[in-house]
Amino acid sequence: MTDEIKITPVARGKRPHFFDDPAIDQLMAIVMAMSAELSVVYDRVDTIERLLDAKGTLDRSDIEAFRPDEAIESERTDRRNEYIGRLFRIIREERESIVPHDKMNEYRKIMEEISKT
Amino acid sequence: MPVLRNANASTVGQAPHEFLQTGGHDDLSRQTYVSALRMHILNQIGGGMRDVYERRVKPDFKKEQGREPQNQHEVRRAMLKDHYGRTWSSMMRACQEMVWDSVIPVIERAQPDLNDRIHGINARHGSVELNPDVNLPRYLTATDIHIMPGNYYTERTLNDATQAALYDRGVYVYQNGFAGPYCDGIGRSMAEFIKQRFPDLQPRRILDVGCTVGHNTVPFTEVFPDAEVHAVDVAAPNIRYAHARCESLEKPIHFHQMNAENMTFEDNSFDLVLSVIMFHETSRVGLRNILRECHRVLRPGGMTIHCELPRTTDMDIFDAFYIDWDAYYNNEPYYAAYTKTDMKEVMEKAGFNGETYVQDMIPDFYMSSTEEFLAAAVGNKKKDDAHGRWGETVKWTTYSAWK
Repeated sequence: MTDEIKITPVARGKRPHFFDDPAIDQLMAIVMAMSAELSVVYDRVDTIERLLDAKGTLDRSDIEAFRPDEAIESERTDRRNEYIGRLFRIIREERESIVPHDKMNEYRKIMEEISKT
Repeated sequence: MPVLRNANASTVGQAPHEFLQTGGHDDLSRQTYVSALRMHILNQIGGGMRDVYERRVKPDFKKEQGREPQNQHEVRRAMLKDHYGRTWSSMMRACQEMVWDSVIPVIERAQPDLNDRIHGINARHGSVELNPDVNLPRYLTATDIHIMPGNYYTERTLNDATQAALYDRGVYVYQNGFAGPYCDGIGRSMAEFIKQRFPDLQPRRILDVGCTVGHNTVPFTEVFPDAEVHAVDVAAPNIRYAHARCESLEKPIHFHQMNAENMTFEDNSFDLVLSVIMFHETSRVGLRNILRECHRVLRPGGMTIHCELPRTTDMDIFDAFYIDWDAYYNNEPYYAAYTKTDMKEVMEKAGFNGETYVQDMIPDFYMSSTEEFLAAAVGNKKKDDAHGRWGETVKWTTYSAWK
């Protein structure tokens, strides 16, 4: 089909790998792509639920045509950000472990303030 | 807390025009997810990189070598041996690829109809001038810049605008709306800044060099409605698409396919010549040639201003590593050379008056309050945050001089 345009989804230029075994970089890419697909399904289910609420009956074309307004998009943004936070918690865990949280200092400061009054 | 003009950036969505392709329900959902993911990697994970450096990588380096890292290359090598540095880098790279992956199938499905419609548009507001004899510079063809498959210039059929359509939507996904619904945050910031800082300039003819699809050119037609605005790009798909997009948005811009190193405009024919984050995609020689051309086409008393990356040689070495990361891992091979460039020296060599050279930090127009923006425009300088990526602190470095 001469009219068809195919964009080869690979950029020219050597792909760097960051882990000693490039397979780990590949796994990372796979996991991240999978995380996107799950979020896409969540949005589609969310669409179905809202349309069912609104209409009671449903056509597939209704789902396809559905576009979230700002308010819905804002709710979805919150969900997405929580979802991303859950998925990649393990990475943030490492960041948080490197900065010590010494709640005792804060507690002591509060106690000092209270004892002055 | 100042009211930001673009506080709801990511929920408003990209402003539509006749040629923008966002795809179906699930495509849009995927693209929006990738935007959110990129912000998470940048802010939540990338935000920890400095902590990792200060608390683990630098102390470990000192233990091993008996001294601290002395330049950004040592920082980079050390960070890329660290598990956190590797994880963040791997995620950044994978996410960048996902940006394009989420848009590619959408553009494929829109063809060949999209090309037909773009080709068939009538020029009612601006104009378009293509030139098949224009040479693509080597610095453009060497690699696919910011890993966009096909780069700017690939044409797969007659009158092909595919790559530009990919760019138009892909850039928005990358920016997560932080550049505004029209992806024009930098152009808007520059135009408003120039108007406030130089109220006497009143340019009648403006030129944007390396305009891609015209995102950042459009604000100049709005801030300077009496000016005739021209824009050049070396890639035909960009020029085709930029013209069509502007016709759809009813913005009067004259687009020309030209190599900025060798433009066909007459000497002294523009009052204002600008570029927006273009130089870091050129070579050292290309940069000098382009600036010489900017000088040539500028009239005496006119101004040239270029938004670009800040110079990393003056920076804290960790910040320099962090900014230059894209040079090594995001197919931006000229980035690192650009960030070492002495723009004052290069602009002087191109013929500009060195005494008029200014390097500024412009707050992003959409992400700053009116007070902050005006204070910067009027010249009320404070010690500024480092220039950041989209989604981080948003201030743009500009280099300007007069003829």
